[in-house]
Amino acid sequence: MAAQPKPLPAAAPSYLEGGGILGWLTTVDHKRIAVLYGVSALVFMAIGGLEAMAIRSQLWSPENHLISADFYNQLFTMHGTTMIFLVLMPLELGTFANFMIPLQIGARDVAFPRINALSFWFFIMGGIMLHLGWFWGGLPNDGWFAYANLTERYFSPGYNMDFWIVGILILGFSTLLTGLNFFVTVTSMRAPGMTYMRLPMFQWSIITTTVLILLAFPPLTVGVVFLLMDRFFGMHFYQASYGATPILWQHLFWLFGHPEVYIMALPAFGIISEVLSVFSRKPLFGYPMMAYSMVLIGFLSYGVWGHHMFATGMGPVADSAFAITSMLIAIPTGIKIFNWIATVWGGSLRMTTAFYFAVAMVIEFTIGGLSGVMHASAPVDLQQTDSYFVVAHFHYVLFGGVMFSILAGIYYWWPKITGTMLSERIGKWQFWLTIIGFNGTFFPMHFLGMWGMPRRIYTYGAGLGWTSLNRLETVCAFILGFAFLLLYVNIVASLRRKQVAGADPWDGRSLEWSVPSPPPEYNFARIPEVRARDAHWVRKYGRTGSRGVAMFMAGRTPPVEIEPPAEPIHMPAPSIYPLLLALGVWLMGFGLIIEWWRIIIFGGFTVFSCVIAMGFEYPTFGQPAHELPAAAAGTDLRKTGIWAFLGSECAFFASLISTYVVYKSRSLGAPGAEILELPLTSISTFALLMSSLGMVLALAAIERDDIGWARVWLAMTISLGLVFLGVEAYEFTHFYHEGLAPQTNLFGQSFYTLVGFHGAHVSVGVLWLSTLLAATFVTRVDKSRSLSVELAGLYWHFVDIVWVIIFTLVYLMQQVKGA
Amino acid sequence: MNGSIHEQAHPGVTTYVIVAAFLTVLTAMEVTVSSVHALKPVMVPVLLILAAAKFALIAMFFMHLKYDTWFLTGVFGFALTIATGLLVSLMLLFLYLSHYLYFTGLLSP
Repeated sequence: MAAQPKPLPAAAPSYLEGGGILGWLTTVDHKRIAVLYGVSALVFMAIGGLEAMAIRSQLWSPENHLISADFYNQLFTMHGTTMIFLVLMPLELGTFANFMIPLQIGARDVAFPRINALSFWFFIMGGIMLHLGWFWGGLPNDGWFAYANLTERYFSPGYNMDFWIVGILILGFSTLLTGLNFFVTVTSMRAPGMTYMRLPMFQWSIITTTVLILLAFPPLTVGVVFLLMDRFFGMHFYQASYGATPILWQHLFWLFGHPEVYIMALPAFGIISEVLSVFSRKPLFGYPMMAYSMVLIGFLSYGVWGHHMFATGMGPVADSAFAITSMLIAIPTGIKIFNWIATVWGGSLRMTTAFYFAVAMVIEFTIGGLSGVMHASAPVDLQQTDSYFVVAHFHYVLFGGVMFSILAGIYYWWPKITGTMLSERIGKWQFWLTIIGFNGTFFPMHFLGMWGMPRRIYTYGAGLGWTSLNRLETVCAFILGFAFLLLYVNIVASLRRKQVAGADPWDGRSLEWSVPSPPPEYNFARIPEVRARDAHWVRKYGRTGSRGVAMFMAGRTPPVEIEPPAEPIHMPAPSIYPLLLALGVWLMGFGLIIEWWRIIIFGGFTVFSCVIAMGFEYPTFGQPAHELPAAAAGTDLRKTGIWAFLGSECAFFASLISTYVVYKSRSLGAPGAEILELPLTSISTFALLMSSLGMVLALAAIERDDIGWARVWLAMTISLGLVFLGVEAYEFTHFYHEGLAPQTNLFGQSFYTLVGFHGAHVSVGVLWLSTLLAATFVTRVDKSRSLSVELAGLYWHFVDIVWVIIFTLVYLMQQVKGA
Repeated sequence: MNGSIHEQAHPGVTTYVIVAAFLTVLTAMEVTVSSVHALKPVMVPVLLILAAAKFALIAMFFMHLKYDTWFLTGVFGFALTIATGLLVSLMLLFLYLSHYLYFTGLLSP
């Protein structure tokens, strides 16, 4: 660091000040939530790291019995699950994205602050659920991928996988809400002038990642719900003896699992793009291609899941298709790597710890990428799958790629988050020990894998020639652990030493460096107007990059001007309900596991009460300041949000419908689809279609301020929805008496699940519309509130169009054989 | 919301009623197609086209995609494309898997 700016007077107290413990528990400020995520993830990282060292200790010598085989299974399952769901994603999205999205796009908060808080508390509740097994019943023990049918009750009878199922479902809610929130924020809350092609590259990575989240998590949710039904309600979604196939789990899991790799990798790419550019004092090379390749990677990542399943025998056509798409993804990734090199090339480099980690990431990730291209080839993959070669590969991607980026991000953004500097000296020590420990642990695994050492084995024979490399790996794993200990030491030392960072310690390029460190609660006293890419740099130096470098070298960096707000800024009020709501969901899950229905009912009551309370809480907010920036997309935030939600629902129902179509023809024994009654369902279908007419007529009435007719049409919509639900209830009861229970056969379980989930959506819609109808009697509703009706209507119509598909595929094509 | 947000005009009551009438007719056609034995050979494509037409009518007119910004159409359209790809891919993969298993004798027909 060439120049240390003087501490500047803050315009207002920083976001870290005031509120006490209750203030943190009820916060909806994106920066505080980011800190909460960060602290929690660092705790989980310590747990996951200790699990890894226990694994390595067990593998120190052949025929070792340091820990039992079952506990070893629990350790590697929890290590993977913890690092992916509780460390990497929360640090990238929960901490960095949460903190930096509003600051980089010139906004005062995220689009939905209370949902942001809810995401965090879901994350905590999911993490606690996953770790309950430390105290009771044992940890999850079937691997982070939980392959069926090992996860069925017959093979895994304890609570272990129950904790995993419920924990992953809760974490899935958390991630989905985060994805939706951030998607709306970046697309709709950018400051004036912040066009897409002026966004910092980190924001491009977030847009792409959130789309991936919205469309990749629903298949996982569906797969886990099937598993839950198998284990708790006696169904057979993954049991071959009933005609089902455990391969369905692999498809649903990897439909999520491979995009998940990019959900972790893309934000890492974004962080590296920021760090390399700032510490090279150059604009990011090939910005448009970097942005496009980010999007292309995201898009292609939907079509590569099958390369995790070459060994399942998908056949040459499917193998070839997945091999091609998997190889294609190397092209945009290669573009990024070359552009990073070109960014650094010829730059005026500053050798900070953040820069070290960023450069190392490019190298280590490339190694992981090269072994990844090998896996894209089906014949090669068949030799490598389930061996330590794969362990080496994904650690080079997830540790060498993602964790190195996170470490770069920590050293880069720590001054902005805390207002203090981390020690560069400790940082460099940490860096070199990490390099030695990481490569010493994971590079030899390539050889062990090629020599035949399978992954996940508890121990190995003495005469296999694997001992020396395993010992080297164990020693290096402990070096790596020590390197991370230095990070924690550095953090504590930084917070105790309090070396003031100043607003712009790195001579940054993006808007977060234009506000104090740590920032005030409202972020920007005035919403900035953006006139160029690298907005803060251009504001400091103009458009000539070399002049800026010269000024910086001469110690003449212009100070950041910090101004007080012209008038009080009203930020969203804190709320305790996100915490209580998440607690209610946790209680419902816990009650399900221990089969204590009173707890489930209490949890459900808590959730319902919190939803109602949040509804009443909203009017007291008024018009929060974070909603004021011009909505770049030209739509209301809530409207964009509900459309993004409906997009995610498309993937959810597509997964359910796929399962129905696949399982319909595999179902063993009667009754089958012939039991369905077309005349009755045609009537209920007509009722649902006409309810949509009622819905739009209600909206039209509200828009012309005709409350009387709006009530009539809303009542009609609700009534027709109830007619539909009544027919469905009759149909279910009738089928049950005819001998078709959900547990009877594959047709029964997939039919009841698909139609039942749709019915649940209709029920939610009826409740929503009933609340709106009640609101017209309790409060003044005029056309200024028509958006509330429109949002409910969008949901209602979506439920309608899903039924159009279900009616066609399930009822009208009942005699057509499935796949 | 500030004034930069586009407030698009929604269609009138007449348009809504006409769309509902179309939906009713299309549903009646669907039921007819699935019930008439002579139409069995073309039943699947015809039913899919009719369902797609109903889907499009609701999305365009009742959900106002025809009148709202292109961005919302893009959000929903992309999601729909991925979801459709997921559905078709899984059907094809399992169709192939079933044939492969029958062919190799691992699964009896």
